[in-house]
Amino acid sequence: MTHNGISRYSMEIATALLTGAIGVAICYGAWQVGIGWTPSGPDSGYFPFWIGVLVVAGSLVNLLRTVIGHRHKDETFLDAARLRSLARFTLPIIGFAVISLLLGLYVGTTLYVLFAMRLQGHYAWWRSLASGIAISICFYLLFELVFQVPLLKGPLEHALGIY
Amino acid sequence: MNNLSLLMDGFATILTWNHLMIMVIGVMLGMLVGVLPGLGAPNGVSLLLPLTFTMDPVSAIILLSCMYWGALFGGSTTSILFNIPGEPSSVATTFDGYPMARNGEATRALTLAFMAAGLGALAGVVMITLLANWVAQFGLKFSSPEYFAVYFLAFCSFIGMSSSAPSKTLVSMMLGLAFATVGMDSVSGGLRLTFGIPDLVKGISFLVAVMGLFGIAELMVTTEEGLSFKGIKSRIRIMDILRTMAELPRYWVSLVRSILIGIWMGITPAGPTAASFMSHGIAKRFSKHPERFGKGEPNGIVSPEAADHSAGTSALLPMLALGVPGSATAAVMMGGLMIWGLTPGPMLFVTRPDFVWGLIASMYLGNVVAVILVLATVPLYASILRVPFAIIGPVIVAVIFTGVYQVANSTFDFWLLLFFALLGYLFKKLDYPVAPLVLTMVLGHRAEEAFRQSMVMSDGSLTVFWSNSLVSTIMGLGVLMLAWPLISKVLGLRGWRQRLQRQKPQAPKSPTSDSRV
Repeated sequence: MTHNGISRYSMEIATALLTGAIGVAICYGAWQVGIGWTPSGPDSGYFPFWIGVLVVAGSLVNLLRTVIGHRHKDETFLDAARLRSLARFTLPIIGFAVISLLLGLYVGTTLYVLFAMRLQGHYAWWRSLASGIAISICFYLLFELVFQVPLLKGPLEHALGIY
Repeated sequence: MNNLSLLMDGFATILTWNHLMIMVIGVMLGMLVGVLPGLGAPNGVSLLLPLTFTMDPVSAIILLSCMYWGALFGGSTTSILFNIPGEPSSVATTFDGYPMARNGEATRALTLAFMAAGLGALAGVVMITLLANWVAQFGLKFSSPEYFAVYFLAFCSFIGMSSSAPSKTLVSMMLGLAFATVGMDSVSGGLRLTFGIPDLVKGISFLVAVMGLFGIAELMVTTEEGLSFKGIKSRIRIMDILRTMAELPRYWVSLVRSILIGIWMGITPAGPTAASFMSHGIAKRFSKHPERFGKGEPNGIVSPEAADHSAGTSALLPMLALGVPGSATAAVMMGGLMIWGLTPGPMLFVTRPDFVWGLIASMYLGNVVAVILVLATVPLYASILRVPFAIIGPVIVAVIFTGVYQVANSTFDFWLLLFFALLGYLFKKLDYPVAPLVLTMVLGHRAEEAFRQSMVMSDGSLTVFWSNSLVSTIMGLGVLMLAWPLISKVLGLRGWRQRLQRQKPQAPKSPTSDSRV
């Protein structure tokens, strides 16, 4: 952390560690299924294993370039004001995902649009709610009726008898 | 049969009311995603793809490719009227397009851009018409090692041509390849890299990745920067359009040069964004009045637009003929082809000539439709951008979630979407290129299959990739591309990358900042 937020330097390191960890996981997963040679050619882990090695190697270079070269030390990745607007945008999305899992996409969409408009645009409750419901209805008409692809439904739709 | 009669057959396939309707819908939807911040061509095509699973492939590809053209045009519209590039490839259009519009010549700027774009696209399609069969014939000579070499070349040119650090491009690309291998192994039938999670058995769909990386992640960057749109009111008058069209021949030198640049950058996977920057830069360098650039110089609008669209169109040639897409959008379309049960590559020309030539014919017609539609509907789309982002943003997010659910009816994909959104956000903010990840995700299976078959052929010896002149040449080119950053440094070449970097500060903060779409 620098005085005015998260520094790019620390995020570069964190990202390099993240991709490196994914690389290690790939190598491990590939090693589990076998990375050697079978009578019918390379084993199924052979190709992913070397891909994983390249991911780890690339991440290592990124890490060292940042640390040794002292790159991006004074750059700000995210300051407090930006973090707030980012959180206002991102947290409702995570809520959207959770609610959609429990209650289906229609209820999820309605509630998400409602809260996102409230939080980001400071619109009145009734306008936000009306927009949410309107968008859900549009989705229903477009996907279920026009394209005939069913969306995820929850207890509310079952109670109303909509399948 | 020669190419011309094949093309006529193609026109016969597509000239139905049904297909014309699909073209109009595709272009309109494409313009919509092109105009909206956070939604670009790759994302739009990904969202639409699940809805085409039940369509016949010819109609489906017309819909998707027309959406691509529409998105390219939509991106230019916002560049000129709002100084906000709707697509990364239209960043260079803001340099002269927005100043000209601000000087009260919005119609002139838009007409110049659209006509140049239309001509560029047309040149790209003509090139495809002439070369497609020849390239496909050439591709028929390929066996597994040659195919792997072509993929190798594509991957290497990403590293060599990218404006990001080579190690960052490498990580992004290899992650894509790794994500593609998750799930069922198509050769042995066994599971791998699922880590005991049953939802990973079906694999990770590239569509989910695109929607996270290009969709949610871009919206996150956009929100963070706090977008406010200050648009120029535009009224399109027919007289202005006609007058501008009459002045177009004056810029023929720029047009021809930009088209050639675009075609070259489109076929090699450098992509439309690089092409438009390079074309604008070269136009300025060779101009007699370089000081006029950046203040509304017509050549500065015509050049990036013609290059952008000829590259966008040309990117479909390697996708169709060799199965190697030249841009992220082409990669998504190629993924679509495979979902519809078609195998992109030279055999497609033999097995489904109606599809291939139908697509090529639709590219001629689709671009004409796009130019007309875009001129007619510019005010409408400009008004969409005046709707506050606090309303549009959530709607786009909801559309993306429904799109992700439609890919496989799996709720696990919601979490994958959020993972890719986080990854995309980090990558964008830290200058990792995102497009290579998508390309390798689509190509992963084929690249691995080619590699494993080559290994079987050679009994595990890597020398198979240097066993004949064809495969050695392609591999050699790949190594050359890989070493290109080093070579250009040693020779002191000041390539387009430097020019790009010098021009970047002039560009407005763009909602879409990836280098290759």
